[in-house]
Amino acid sequence: MKTVSILFFLTIALFASDNKDIMRAQILEKIISNISINETVTVWSDNKELLAELKKSTHIITSNDCAKATVIILENKEKIHDDACKNKPVFVLEYNLLKELPKSFGAFFWKKGRPNIVIIEPRIESQNISVSKELKVYVEEKVW
Amino acid sequence: MVKKKEFIIFFLLFLLALFFVYIYNNITKAKDDIFDRIENHQIEQISSILKNIEKDILDSAEIKSSKDLFSLFNDENMRESYERIISLMLTSNVKYAYILYKDEKDRFRFLLDASKTDKAEFYQKFDVTLSEYEAIYREKKPQIIKQHDIENLYLTYLYPIISNGHVVGLFSIDITTNIQKIILESIKPLETFFVVLIIFILLLMAMTIMQIFHYFVTRKKIFTDTLTKTFNRNYLEEISSMLNLEHYSLAMLDLDKFKAINDTYGHKAGDYVLAQASRIFKDSIRDSDILIRYGGEEFLLLIHNRNDSESNIDICERLRHNVSKEHFYYDTNEIKVHVSIGLHKHPSLEKNIQEAIKIADGMLYIAKKNGRNRVIAYDELEHAKTSSSASSKDISYVKEALDDERVLCYFQPIYNHKSGEIFKYEALVRIVSKNNTVISPMQFLPQLKHTNMHYKLTQRILLIVFEKFRNNQKLVSININFSDLMNPDIEEMIIKNLKNNHHLASRITFEILESDEIDDVELFKQKINLLHSLKTKVSIDDFGSGYSNFKTIIDVEANFLKIDGSLIKNIDKNNKDFRVVKSIIHFARQSNMQTIAEFVHSKEVYEKLLLLDIDYMQGFYISAPEASLVEREELFKTAF
Repeated sequence: MKTVSILFFLTIALFASDNKDIMRAQILEKIISNISINETVTVWSDNKELLAELKKSTHIITSNDCAKATVIILENKEKIHDDACKNKPVFVLEYNLLKELPKSFGAFFWKKGRPNIVIIEPRIESQNISVSKELKVYVEEKVW
Repeated sequence: MVKKKEFIIFFLLFLLALFFVYIYNNITKAKDDIFDRIENHQIEQISSILKNIEKDILDSAEIKSSKDLFSLFNDENMRESYERIISLMLTSNVKYAYILYKDEKDRFRFLLDASKTDKAEFYQKFDVTLSEYEAIYREKKPQIIKQHDIENLYLTYLYPIISNGHVVGLFSIDITTNIQKIILESIKPLETFFVVLIIFILLLMAMTIMQIFHYFVTRKKIFTDTLTKTFNRNYLEEISSMLNLEHYSLAMLDLDKFKAINDTYGHKAGDYVLAQASRIFKDSIRDSDILIRYGGEEFLLLIHNRNDSESNIDICERLRHNVSKEHFYYDTNEIKVHVSIGLHKHPSLEKNIQEAIKIADGMLYIAKKNGRNRVIAYDELEHAKTSSSASSKDISYVKEALDDERVLCYFQPIYNHKSGEIFKYEALVRIVSKNNTVISPMQFLPQLKHTNMHYKLTQRILLIVFEKFRNNQKLVSININFSDLMNPDIEEMIIKNLKNNHHLASRITFEILESDEIDDVELFKQKINLLHSLKTKVSIDDFGSGYSNFKTIIDVEANFLKIDGSLIKNIDKNNKDFRVVKSIIHFARQSNMQTIAEFVHSKEVYEKLLLLDIDYMQGFYISAPEASLVEREELFKTAF
């Protein structure tokens, strides 16, 4: 049922080009809600608009300080300066960042106009991140 | 009739709008058709290229399964080689071209991506949600996905790579919207032109509708009395030619003592009473009935024949009762209002509606005469005689003249030959026609006899004379008949104007027709006494033409005796008339009455009358009636 709901979001995302930022925030909210780590999930993002959208969510906690976050949503790798942040689990918004950042465990991105989700299994395991059954369909063994 | 043209224009515009909508629709269809043709053409081209590439892939590497396909493209050199081949398809219209394959977990993955932008990695997962990706495996046929919401993509063409009857992979070609945009931009001016044209026509249609609407509003205004919201006489004129009187009864309604209400409480109160009474009338009748404000406080009601047991008299009685029981309050004053009604039950028996109106008006006259606040219905048998002789046109003619203020008085001097001065003037009614000719009373007075209109005419004459002579020293005679004297409204008017104005009253003489049918002598005497009490003078008019006895004449103590013109006009030739006139003069002297000879039309008649020593003379030889008061110097100017 939950799988259906994320698929539904992906389908909706196709038809919501005008509200891509909002839709992206909603999908990310759904993804973050379906992962668990040892501590409370607190999200920080380098994309201020996205962070502002995520703040509206009642399901996830956000922080303006990446040091206080437990999960980072990253669009631009250059924007992590703080050492305290560099070792935190990262969910990226570009597929290529998965290759560049060893700490990145998943990505949400647009490929040829279609929304895509990828979660890298070894990385979630190494960072003690577990994903719900709903996200299993997006789990990959490695970054291709 | 005028609006028929507008309806035709509206209909033509409607047809024109339909035509342009049809054209616009065809253009849209043509646009879609062009898109389809382009789409088919593009797909045909792409399909033929892909077919060749497919053949090349399958033949060169002996692909038997999807694993073979994976193995083929796992070789980077092979991948690059095919990417170069497929990339040749990329144009401004073909944005992405790539090969997908479904792995053992049924996930779609890129085996090859020849796209110049947004290039995918080898074996990168590709999340697809549309059913066509599954359908291509099932149906083994190319699929077309119309893309409505992916940026700049028009459609995606999926072409299967089939080996041994199984789909081992698929080409995916994303086509952009560029050509469609160009076509849309080319057609847009034409579309805009038609849209503007259709809007313009719709505006014209709206204007035509407004004009038609305006016509009906104006038409309603023309036919509606603003005060009472009932129909007015224009409406009666409009419908009279097409009205089938067989379906109606006709009633004339007149509010009793309405003038007194106006005089006592003011015109605003009068208007209020009229509006309220009209409301009661309307509430008491059905939609099929027609209520018309005929003028002033007078209404005409056409009662549509009912099938039920209620007779037309019952309806009129109900109307009368409803008005009587209503309490009219204006400025804390309670005003009692009653209505008199004259009914003609079968107006279709008359020559036309004006005839029927005249008869109903006659019934109204009787209702007023019999004490008001009552309904009098027309009895065909009793009134057959009077109805046959009447001229219907004249009553409405007089009514209209009264409403248009075209009723006026001419004044003929009554000459005192002994002093050589004008003794007084006789007021004579005239109507000025719409084309400004003066109509003599002989043309309209006989038809008014025993109608309510006669009262109204008399009231108007009294008003005119009272106003004209109120502030001068001259004397005046006013003709009045017995019926007028019996009319309470007229009596009220005389009392109101003369009771406290002796200066005016003493200069007024009421000339009462001796020939009038005086059916109640005692009442007649009472009314004459009333005139005497007001200090006015009384003259017996047309003496010698009627049948009243001398005793009555003496009893009423008239001041003047006007000898009938039929006895005067031939007095110079007819010795018999001479002797009769001589006797009348003698009788008048004995009875303390002064004598007046009318119809003095020649010098011979004038000189003969001098021999009889008559007191006063009046006639065309002395002066014709004039609109203004002629002076002494202007007498005897008419040449005969």
